[in-house]
Amino acid sequence: MSLSILAYLAIILFLGLSAYKAYKYAKMPLHGRMELYPVPKEQGHEYGGSYFEEVEWWNKERKVNHMAELIDMLKEMLFIKKLFDNQRPLWWLSYALHLGIYLLIAWTVLLIVGGLTLLAGGQVSPSSGIWGALIFYLTAFTGLSGLVLATFGSAMLFLRRIFDDTLRKYTTPQEYFNLALLYCATVSGIFVWINDLTFSTAREITANLISFTPFEVSGLLIAHIVILFIMFTYIPLSKMSHYVGKYFSFHKVLWENEPNLRGSAMEKKVEQALARRSTNSWSAPHISGQAPAEE
Amino acid sequence: MINQKDLRPKDLGRSDEQLIKLESLMELKAPYDAEGMEPPFTEPKQAWREKYCASLDGYVGIDKLTRPQSKEEEDEFVRKFLRGLEKVFTDANSGVLQPFLLSFEYCAKCNTCSDACHIFKATNSNELYRPIFRSEVLRKIVKKHFTKSGKLLGSFVGADIDVNWETIARLGELAYRCNLCRRCAQTCPLGLDNSLLAKEIRKVFSQEMGIAPSPLHEKGTVNQLKTGSSTGITKPVLLDTLEFLEEDIEELYGLKIKFPVDKKGADILLTHNAGEYMAWPENPIAFAILFEEAGLNWTLSSEMIGYDNVNYGIWYDDAQAKKIALQQMKAAKDLGVRRIIIGECGHAHKAAAVVADRMAYGEDKIPVESCLPLLWDLVKSKALKFDPSKNNFPVTLHDPCNVVRQMGIVQPQRRILKEICPDFREMTPHGVDNYCCGGGSGFAIMNSMNFAEFRNKISARTKFDQILGAFQDTIEQVEPPKYVCAPCSNCKGTIRDILEYYQATEKFNVHYGGLVELMVNALVSMKKPFFEFLE
Ligand code: SF4
Ligand code: SF4
Repeated sequence: MSLSILAYLAIILFLGLSAYKAYKYAKMPLHGRMELYPVPKEQGHEYGGSYFEEVEWWNKERKVNHMAELIDMLKEMLFIKKLFDNQRPLWWLSYALHLGIYLLIAWTVLLIVGGLTLLAGGQVSPSSGIWGALIFYLTAFTGLSGLVLATFGSAMLFLRRIFDDTLRKYTTPQEYFNLALLYCATVSGIFVWINDLTFSTAREITANLISFTPFEVSGLLIAHIVILFIMFTYIPLSKMSHYVGKYFSFHKVLWENEPNLRGSAMEKKVEQALARRSTNSWSAPHISGQAPAEE
Repeated sequence: MINQKDLRPKDLGRSDEQLIKLESLMELKAPYDAEGMEPPFTEPKQAWREKYCASLDGYVGIDKLTRPQSKEEEDEFVRKFLRGLEKVFTDANSGVLQPFLLSFEYCAKCNTCSDACHIFKATNSNELYRPIFRSEVLRKIVKKHFTKSGKLLGSFVGADIDVNWETIARLGELAYRCNLCRRCAQTCPLGLDNSLLAKEIRKVFSQEMGIAPSPLHEKGTVNQLKTGSSTGITKPVLLDTLEFLEEDIEELYGLKIKFPVDKKGADILLTHNAGEYMAWPENPIAFAILFEEAGLNWTLSSEMIGYDNVNYGIWYDDAQAKKIALQQMKAAKDLGVRRIIIGECGHAHKAAAVVADRMAYGEDKIPVESCLPLLWDLVKSKALKFDPSKNNFPVTLHDPCNVVRQMGIVQPQRRILKEICPDFREMTPHGVDNYCCGGGSGFAIMNSMNFAEFRNKISARTKFDQILGAFQDTIEQVEPPKYVCAPCSNCKGTIRDILEYYQATEKFNVHYGGLVELMVNALVSMKKPFFEFLE
């Protein structure tokens, strides 16, 4: 029962805190432009061009290629392309961790779907029709590969930080802790599921958690769920929430080049932003208007 | 002194007289790979050490940052810095809050950005110049003083730095070891920008503590707001200068050209970096020759700040930047022109077209364009007739960061060169991946104490190497002359200085200049070469 609550709470807190973080960034005031080319939505984006390459650009229809932006975004999200392009050795490790996490997210969703199937009276096994078999195999595949990749990735990133002279200088104990937490979560998962490679028990447990049905639990499982709870609550509070930050830094900063044209929506925003008075102000004499005391 | 290999961000507050000493630099290409081709390092004077903060790497960038005379002054300095730093996170800073916080909070310390930095590269990966070094110092100070986690957990979250006068003064200097070129930001998997943090440090120094390099502040923005130009050129001086230039044009090229000034309702207001009138008058002359021959309806402004498109504020002080930008808009609006065309000055491009884009709205905003697409249009439409054989010497192109990486203007300038220069060759890398000239963010005009040495040897080193690379086939022969085309005043200033510092003009006949000069030189209508080096 209390494990059910913990599981629900973990998911709610994770989503809620992440959404809150996104909300906080979203409602920050309009900032000055600081786009950085190439901007994928620009027509000449292949070489980094922009609408500024046109004479009287302000008088012409603005062509925005949302598809190209979407593709670039997906490349970043699914493959961490910038890291692949600019630091391949680290990419292998980082991508192992990230891909592992993506697979584990898919695995969780599949466990829930499988659990719901069980609760609805269905079956999940290789011989229970297309749906049941599909869930069965996909769950096994995502779970096993996810656990292995995420464990490998987090361990290797941790070790790399320790043994790389440069990274070590910049890594705070908290940052080691972050990786260690991910590692503990996946390793405890491996211990819990080592005898359940098809995740059939996991599915039943998920069904029980979903339906608040009491079931027999091992100490190991409790430990695993508690670690997961800590991890899910902690991630959005820490800078591991970069899945939120990354969206804003690309979409709202580096790729945001909306011109302030007469009659545009941007013009309205600028007008509102300029009307706002700030409560804090700078003190240097050329700004405050006050001569420095010593003069 | 500490071996740079062992240097960590928390060492910034150590009491050493000088934190690190630069010894090894990236090897330059031939013929500069030979012994004795490059002037050696010089030692900072003892008097500078006593008066300024030379304790970072021996260089002094901020001539207004002087050592305290008493413990009280020292404490006051620290207090003011921290007070300013706190404001960075408030609505006093709303124009950059979101981008700044993202870059401040999310760095994964993956170290992907380091190799993109020309300064880091030029110093053979010296730890002090790693893009995240300065960012990490800033984070540590903020954590220590302003976050609950820092106060509660201390070094666990990285709040392990000693914050004293030396720490802060060195951090101030370190903010002037970054060209704000944003090349590193292109590579960051999280889309973060270390230059933003460097700039915030500069801003706290200027906006809160009133400390900024005088070439940027007193002699820069303050002077511009007072006289109309950071060069000190006033309206009467400008009008006199233009008259002289008209006489020059007639005398030298037999052309009768009158600079249109304050022509109400003109299509185009052309704005120059006023430094051009003093250092490179051939640039405004070339613009006039091209615009007149093409029959454009254009004008210059002689009104307050309307004749100087520079805006040094964008490098260190938002308040100064805004005052200047608004004044420039007003000059255009008062003239009733249709659009502003920015001449060959990179930071002026960005300041007017990008940074100032959200500083006003409605009637107050006159559309801003770069000169480059317009110039390409004149070539493409055959409004001007060229004889490319007149430019028959090796030409390479420097891409000003502000124009290319930060505005996406990549092709027009290359299309022109491909059309009018038969021996055009690109630098490697180029376009949006270019390297900063080394003069970005004010370095080009900062010459106090030994700062020019830092620029010539270090921040401009990669660019010099690229220039050598572009001319490898002919560099060691005096003939033909070689030309670095840099359509930006600050880049030109930097390149002028490196060519002189490394004696590349003298020894190897390497020249530099803008784009319009090349265009005028190739004009069929020109009776004689526009470049002195061709005479
Ligand atoms: S902005 Fe440019 S100079 Fe500054 S750290 Fe990044 S790459 Fe280096
Ligand atoms: S690339 Fe980005 S995340 Fe990685 S160290 Fe540099 S700034 Fe930080």
